[in-house]
Amino acid sequence: MAVMEIVSSLRKKQIPPLGLIPDRVLDFLASLTSWRGKHSELTTIERLLATFRHKEPDHVPCAPLVGGAYRQLTGASFREFSLDAEKAIEAGLLGSEVIGGDVLLLGLDLTVEASDFGQATIYPENSTAHPDYSQPLIKDHTDYRKLKRIELKDAPRMQKVIAMSRRALKEKGLSAVFVPVISSPLSVLAMMRGAAQVFKDCILYPDDVMAAAETVTAVLIDYINALCDTGLIIAAPDMLFASESGLGKELWEKMEGPLGRQIAEVLHRRNCLIAIHNCGDKPYFDSMIRFMEPEAISFACLADGCKDRKEMKKRYGDQTAFIGDVETPLLFHGSPRQVMEECRKVIEDYAEGGGFILAPGCEYPPNHNLLNAIILVQAARIYG
Amino acid sequence: MNNEANQKVLDLIEKAVPGYNPEQMNQGIEQALRQGIPVQEIKQALFQGLELSRKKLLTRDVPLPKFLLSIDVLDQGFKRLSATEDREKSGAIPLVIGVVEGDPHDLGKNIVSRIYSASGYQVHDLGVGVPAETFISTVKEKQAKVLALSSMISTTMVQMPEIIKRVKAVAPDTVVMVGGAPLDLNLAKSFGADGYAESAVTLLEETEAALERASVKEKW
Repeated sequence: MAVMEIVSSLRKKQIPPLGLIPDRVLDFLASLTSWRGKHSELTTIERLLATFRHKEPDHVPCAPLVGGAYRQLTGASFREFSLDAEKAIEAGLLGSEVIGGDVLLLGLDLTVEASDFGQATIYPENSTAHPDYSQPLIKDHTDYRKLKRIELKDAPRMQKVIAMSRRALKEKGLSAVFVPVISSPLSVLAMMRGAAQVFKDCILYPDDVMAAAETVTAVLIDYINALCDTGLIIAAPDMLFASESGLGKELWEKMEGPLGRQIAEVLHRRNCLIAIHNCGDKPYFDSMIRFMEPEAISFACLADGCKDRKEMKKRYGDQTAFIGDVETPLLFHGSPRQVMEECRKVIEDYAEGGGFILAPGCEYPPNHNLLNAIILVQAARIYG
Repeated sequence: MNNEANQKVLDLIEKAVPGYNPEQMNQGIEQALRQGIPVQEIKQALFQGLELSRKKLLTRDVPLPKFLLSIDVLDQGFKRLSATEDREKSGAIPLVIGVVEGDPHDLGKNIVSRIYSASGYQVHDLGVGVPAETFISTVKEKQAKVLALSSMISTTMVQMPEIIKRVKAVAPDTVVMVGGAPLDLNLAKSFGADGYAESAVTLLEETEAALERASVKEKW
C-alpha cells in the first residue's frame, strides 16, 4: 500500500510523504544522500531527507519564511494577497523561482481560521490582515460555549489555502516544499477574543475556554485532513502560546498540549511531517516534543532552560530538527553583509551533524524589500 | 490604630496583587481607609505587590497570564482610590502611550501602560491605531516628558521614525521610548528613539535610564 502511494506520488512528480517510508530505509537513504552531497548538489527533497534524518546534506536547507512579502513580486496589495488566493499563489510560485529556498510558506495571513468562524476581519491595503477587535466574536467567557463547529465547505478562506496547496504541489512537484502554517486552537480563539483575555480566561474559566478550543480543534483536524489530501508532506502548526510569551508551561500542558497532541497524531497518521513554528520567548521545547513529537521546530529565541545555542543543540538536537533563528529585525535594518555574517554564525552554531534549516526567527518582514531573503538563501549555500 | 495593625493591612493589600485576589484587596483597602492610612501608602502597597509580580515574571515564577491578572487587581485598587486625580495633583511624570496607526495589537501596550501607571507616571493612554497627528498634539497638550510608542508588526513599525522626528520638532525634550516584537535595540536607535525596552520586565529601568541620559544630554 505504502509502496503504491510512494510510486503514485513520484509518477505525479510530487514528493512522496516521508512518513510512508520505514525509518531504517529513510536512514539508509539519508546516509547515502549525505555521502552524495559531499560530491554533488542535492535536490530539495534529498537535502530535506538528510536534514530530517539528522545527517549533513550538501549544504543546510533554507526556509526564508517569506509570506506577505511575496506580493511585492507581482504588485499585489496586502488586501489582494489575503483575499485572492490566485494572486497569493502566483506570487508564491514566482518567489520560489526568484528567491528560492527549500521550504516555503504557503498561506494568506494569520486570520484564515478565525475569519472562517465568523470573526470580523480587517484587510488593509498596506498592512497585514487582522481581526476587528472592536467586534470580537467572543465578547465574554460565556460566549466560548456558544462557538459552533463549522463545516469545511462553509470555510471559504481555509478552502483557498487548500486550493493553493493543491496548485503548489502540482506546479512545483519535487523542486520545492510549500508548507502551510496552521494556527493553534488557542491562537484561533485569541483572534476572536484578544490574546490577553484568552490568557486570563485560561485561569479564571478554563472549562469554558476548553469547550471552545475543542470545537476549534475539530475544525482544524478537518482542515489538516483536507490539506493532507492535496499531497502535503510538511505542515507547520503555530504553537506560539507554548512559550513565555504565551501561557506558563504548566498551563499550556494542561490547556493546549492535549489538543496539540490530537493535531500531531492526525498529521503523523497522514504521514505528514510536523515543523512547529513558535516565535515566542523561551519556547517550551520539552513540552512541545513530549506532546507533539515534531520532526522540526522553527524558533526565534533560545529554548526554555537553555543558556546558549550549544546547550540547546546538545539538549534537543537529537530529538528534533531546528529551523531558525536569524533575528527578524536584522533582516529589516541589517545590510546584506551583516545578514550574511549573522547567517554564518547561526550555521556554525547549529548545522554540525545535520538536523538544521536556516531561517528567520519569524516571518520575513512583509513590507521590506526582498534582498535579505535572497541573502538568506545564498548564505545557506555558501556557509551551509 | 498602631503601626503594627497598619502594616498588617498594607501587607494584605500587597499580597492581594500577585495573588490576583480582588476580594482580599477590596477588603484590605476598606480596612486601610477605616484605619486612616494615607491613600499614598495604600497605593504604594499596591505597587509593591505588582513589583513582586513583575520580578517573579522575570524569574519565571509567575507566567504572563497570572501577571495580567495581577495588573487587573492593581487597576481595580487604583480606581477605588481615584488614583489618576491624585497623581495629577502630585506632579507625576506625564507620559503619552499608544500603538501606531494600523496596528490593533494592544496586549504589550496595555501591560506597559499599566506598569507605568502603577509606577507613578501620569499616563495618557491613546489606545491602538493612533495617527501620528494625535501623538504629536497630545504630547504638546499634556507636556509629556515621555512618549511610548508600540508596534507589533513591521508594516506599521515603519511609521515610528517619522513620528519621532515630528515629536522632536515640537517637543525636543520629550523622551521617546519604543517597543514591540519586530524591534530591537539597533532598530530603535536607527529610528531616533531615546530608549528601547525589550519587555515589561526591563521597562522601568530602561525608561529611567533614558530620562537620565536626557537630563544630562548624554547621547544614547
